[in-house]
Amino acid sequence: MTFINVIHAHSTVLLIVSFLLFSFLMPILERWKNSWCATMAVAAHVLAFVFIGNLSWRVFTEGTIHYELGGWSPPWGIEFVVDYLALFMLITISTVSFLILIFGTVDLTHELKPKVLGLYYTLYLLLVGAMMGLAVTNDFFNMFVFMEIAAISACGIISVKSDRECVEASFKYLMLSAVGTGCVLLSVALLYMIGGHLNFAFAAAAIQDVAHIYPNNILVALALFSVGFIVKAALFPLHVWLPDAPSSAPSPSSAILSGLVIKIYTVVYLKLLYKVFPIELFDLLPVFDMILILSALSIFFGSIFAIVQEDIKRMLAFSSIAQIGYVFLGIGLANSTGLTGGLLHIFNHAMMKSMLFLSAGAIIYCTGIRKIDDLKGIGLKMPVVMGAFTIGAMAMVGIPTTNGFISKLYLALGTLDANKHFYLAIILISSFLNCLYYFPIVINAFFGESEEEDGEEEIQVKKLPLRMSVPLIILGAGCMIFGIFPKYILVIIERAVEMIL
Amino acid sequence: MIDFADVAMRLFENMYYLVSVILFVIGFHTMLTHSNLIKKVIGMNIMDTAIFLFFVSTGYVQGGVAPIIEPGVEQAYINPLPTALILTGIVVAVSVTAFALSLVVKIYEHYGTLDAEEIMRIRSTES
Repeated sequence: MTFINVIHAHSTVLLIVSFLLFSFLMPILERWKNSWCATMAVAAHVLAFVFIGNLSWRVFTEGTIHYELGGWSPPWGIEFVVDYLALFMLITISTVSFLILIFGTVDLTHELKPKVLGLYYTLYLLLVGAMMGLAVTNDFFNMFVFMEIAAISACGIISVKSDRECVEASFKYLMLSAVGTGCVLLSVALLYMIGGHLNFAFAAAAIQDVAHIYPNNILVALALFSVGFIVKAALFPLHVWLPDAPSSAPSPSSAILSGLVIKIYTVVYLKLLYKVFPIELFDLLPVFDMILILSALSIFFGSIFAIVQEDIKRMLAFSSIAQIGYVFLGIGLANSTGLTGGLLHIFNHAMMKSMLFLSAGAIIYCTGIRKIDDLKGIGLKMPVVMGAFTIGAMAMVGIPTTNGFISKLYLALGTLDANKHFYLAIILISSFLNCLYYFPIVINAFFGESEEEDGEEEIQVKKLPLRMSVPLIILGAGCMIFGIFPKYILVIIERAVEMIL
Repeated sequence: MIDFADVAMRLFENMYYLVSVILFVIGFHTMLTHSNLIKKVIGMNIMDTAIFLFFVSTGYVQGGVAPIIEPGVEQAYINPLPTALILTGIVVAVSVTAFALSLVVKIYEHYGTLDAEEIMRIRSTES
């Protein structure tokens, strides 16, 4: 069968091309058959599952896949590499974005004007395609292009509601991400100047050879890469765009922004740090210590800021800043246990944070409440949503049997392996702080007295559609399952870590 | 002892890099310190242009010509790869600028001003 052969040989690029193709079909479909847009967006994801299934089967049986775009071999052509790390990101992105999309097909009809609904899927699929491209690319310039696609489409899905907060948040994100990509492109230029290659593997070999002649070039490039990716990943001192963006955007946008978009940049940064830069450089410049300090600040201040928020989505956004700190903590520890914890936290946090944002979105959909104080007594009226929220809150704090516990355990063991006990204290303090801002919501929702005796009318609760409750239930079940049986995802992560270190 | 003449000579030889770094700093400074949103977009463009100049000049060879190879003629050619890449970069920068300007139009519609501090003030008095 030639058709099967084509899929088998080209599934790496077909994965990304199919997303791009479907996303550009949307504007046509939107004019012709408006109601098909959502179905086609889901179809794109189902198609992606087929390709990812093929890829994972090949990675597990044959090892790393090197795909040459257009048949040009690496130093000249663009190369896609699917190793365990890329595969792990592909699985995370496709699963979580699929569930968010299912939720969004109902929620978006409520939040957006019907005119922009079809175009929203264009941006959404572009964003998912660009993130998958970032996960598999092995070429500097290709990486830059995917970063810009991801940035513009992410700004698009923030500003799609086009009310004043959204537009302003989107502009802020666009400016800061322009700084980020600018820094990244400048450092690509610095590395190209001395290495003469754009392919990661070839550039790494060339840089290794000339590192002693041009140490300054490499140092400046490393600094610019770090700034660029830290802005994009919203680590503490450069996080200013994140709280505004998800809190004003539609809930599916917030979920994908906080859950996936900021993670993919940490993975690309990790890839560059370990694959491209020579190891001797890290003796010259303590970049891992800097990452550790920034991540500790991020964990601490993200939690502190989250405590004082009144808006539920804004609080979740600040919590994301704290959680991205854990991922960077894993990178900064630079030993296998810590890195496993960091990567595991990417997967776990993608699940729990998108679940929390979706349940916040479901609360807003059903009742219109955004303020944390108004949520009293809502738990019994919306058991599925608040149940999911409770599981998410428990996972955030890191209670055993939830997936958050496993990744925090690995991170804590990693700090002990690296003999950095201070960061263990940071993890513990942050867990207490997480309790401080998640549990009052849960307790209030289930046991709080709703103030009916004041003559206020009871909160009107709309019925939750099936397409909104099913993703919440699946994500909640996922949080529990991967908390009890983490080995199913650790199989991939441990091999990825083995290959990185 | 630093030989200033030597330093000046080397700076002059690497003039493109020097100018692009100066432009980059100008753009960065404009972008972060000015409160006018249009000026921020202009700053972003200056910064992007500086990076493009830097990238293109990495491929320049002294005395080289465009790499259109004529059989039988021996001469130095410049590296065409950075130029080709920057063509893509310019397209990306144009689309980012267009998007940013459209957002500025929307912000002006909502707030009636282009000043970021004024917008902050309006938002803080309302909420």
